[in-house]
Amino acid sequence: MKRILLACSSGMSTSLLVSRMKEAAAARGVDVDIWAVSQDKAATEMRKADVLLVGPQMRFLIKKLSQEGAAMGIPIEAIDPIAYGRVDGEAVLEKALELIKRERNPHESE
Amino acid sequence: MNQSKLMNVLEKLLLPLADKLNNNRYLTALRDGFMVALPLIIFGSIFVVIANFPFLDRLLSEEAYAAYQNALGPASAATLSIMGLFVIIGIGYKMTEHNGLEGIYGGVVSLAAFLIMTPQVLEGVTGVIPTSSLGAEGLFLGIFTAFIASELYRYFVKKNWMIKMPAGVPDAVSRSFSALIPIALTLSVFLVVRILFSFTPFETAQNFIYTVIQQPLTVLGSGLPATIVAVLLIQFFWFFGLHGQIIVNSVFDPIWFALNDQNLKAFQAGEELPNIITKQFIDTFLVGMGGSGMTLAVIALIFLIGRSRQIKELGKLGAPPGLFNVNEPIIFGLPIIMNPLVLIPWLLAPVVVTIITYTAMSIGWVPKPAGVIVPWTTPIGLSGFLATGNAWQGAVLQIFNLLVVMAIWWPFLKILDKQVYEKEKEGSKQ
Repeated sequence: MKRILLACSSGMSTSLLVSRMKEAAAARGVDVDIWAVSQDKAATEMRKADVLLVGPQMRFLIKKLSQEGAAMGIPIEAIDPIAYGRVDGEAVLEKALELIKRERNPHESE
Repeated sequence: MNQSKLMNVLEKLLLPLADKLNNNRYLTALRDGFMVALPLIIFGSIFVVIANFPFLDRLLSEEAYAAYQNALGPASAATLSIMGLFVIIGIGYKMTEHNGLEGIYGGVVSLAAFLIMTPQVLEGVTGVIPTSSLGAEGLFLGIFTAFIASELYRYFVKKNWMIKMPAGVPDAVSRSFSALIPIALTLSVFLVVRILFSFTPFETAQNFIYTVIQQPLTVLGSGLPATIVAVLLIQFFWFFGLHGQIIVNSVFDPIWFALNDQNLKAFQAGEELPNIITKQFIDTFLVGMGGSGMTLAVIALIFLIGRSRQIKELGKLGAPPGLFNVNEPIIFGLPIIMNPLVLIPWLLAPVVVTIITYTAMSIGWVPKPAGVIVPWTTPIGLSGFLATGNAWQGAVLQIFNLLVVMAIWWPFLKILDKQVYEKEKEGSKQ
């Protein structure tokens, strides 16, 4: 089970993406838990996640969360703006899985 | 490319600014504090709306109508009208939690500090706290008090002054005193400040903050120039793909909420509403038209004149969330960010709408916002109706503004659509 957390200002626009990502995951047969939260909950919710993806419009959150993320081994990245605009669940899911993989096997991907 | 160089420079300037404004711990606590209060504020607003349903005053007898309003009154009196209390608890809680201490202590110590600073007399009657000072009038004092109380509390906790218990006293007993000293010292500071203020011509801290800070700021914030600056800042941040509303709100919300509350009081008392610019002015007449930048107009235009397959797809994708004022698909998908072609309508349309709305309200064609808080996800039409105190003119103004925004965007969207359309045609030939 891969746990993917999305965060934006109020968790609205990222939740659009959540349903698309779930569809993409179901199509691929990947076992995932994906959910979206508002920015004030991001710090506590990320403890339950394997990866945190931030809406590009809130990318200034990353700096605040990155220290704690690094300490817990949770990669944090902004979602690609183009994929975000297209609500491209497939692309964002791919990115999330890749980030989790890289975090777990840092040498494999290099 | 000179243009992209300029964009890069601006991006380098704006990102740290957004970072500072959004991640500053006082502003973060302030925003989170309002978030805590928001469900209560909305609950109160719903009952203001129900208490003032249109035509009820004509359907019911005067006494029945008064009884109806009185029965529903406590719902908003206990929430919306004293929102300062909840914001203060929220700020104190969130700041203290952020400082790594137990949040609830920060919440209650902030609340107690605020009550110490609040006048406890009304027209010669002692032992009462005027509810007006727990609402907008006390909002700024409350915010400052919560900041200072949380910081003092943290300072005194970190000092770790403990009451030494004799050996043999269970550990749990001495720990139960651990919050006592920091809280006692923090509140003592506020008591001293209160006493000192009583020797000044202002008499109370509340009066001092209100006269020296809140009054000038709200007067400034209620004007058209400051509002246009705020609106342009929001649009400007968004142009660089940064959440302008969140960033600008952290500074403007106290002012907009305070103005809102003044209107609510007047609305409930049946008096003339003092302010046009309020939280609702922004949320309903600017954000409430499809999201920041009023992109519902863009979606409507796409359906009307769009020819390119890609842009029409985007319209379909953006329409359902757009109705509820979530517009990231349009902003990132059209795209609006970093797209020089749409910079003019993106900046111009909200300013024009601000001026139209302000004018329509100041000459009395459309009622001013009644001070109820309508969630920003409320669809166009309904939000305008509710925000203006159940007035159809509010809904009509929103629709009119939507047409204006469509007219402003028309030529620019046409060019953009043509560019994409032609690229698609070339692509299909190959």
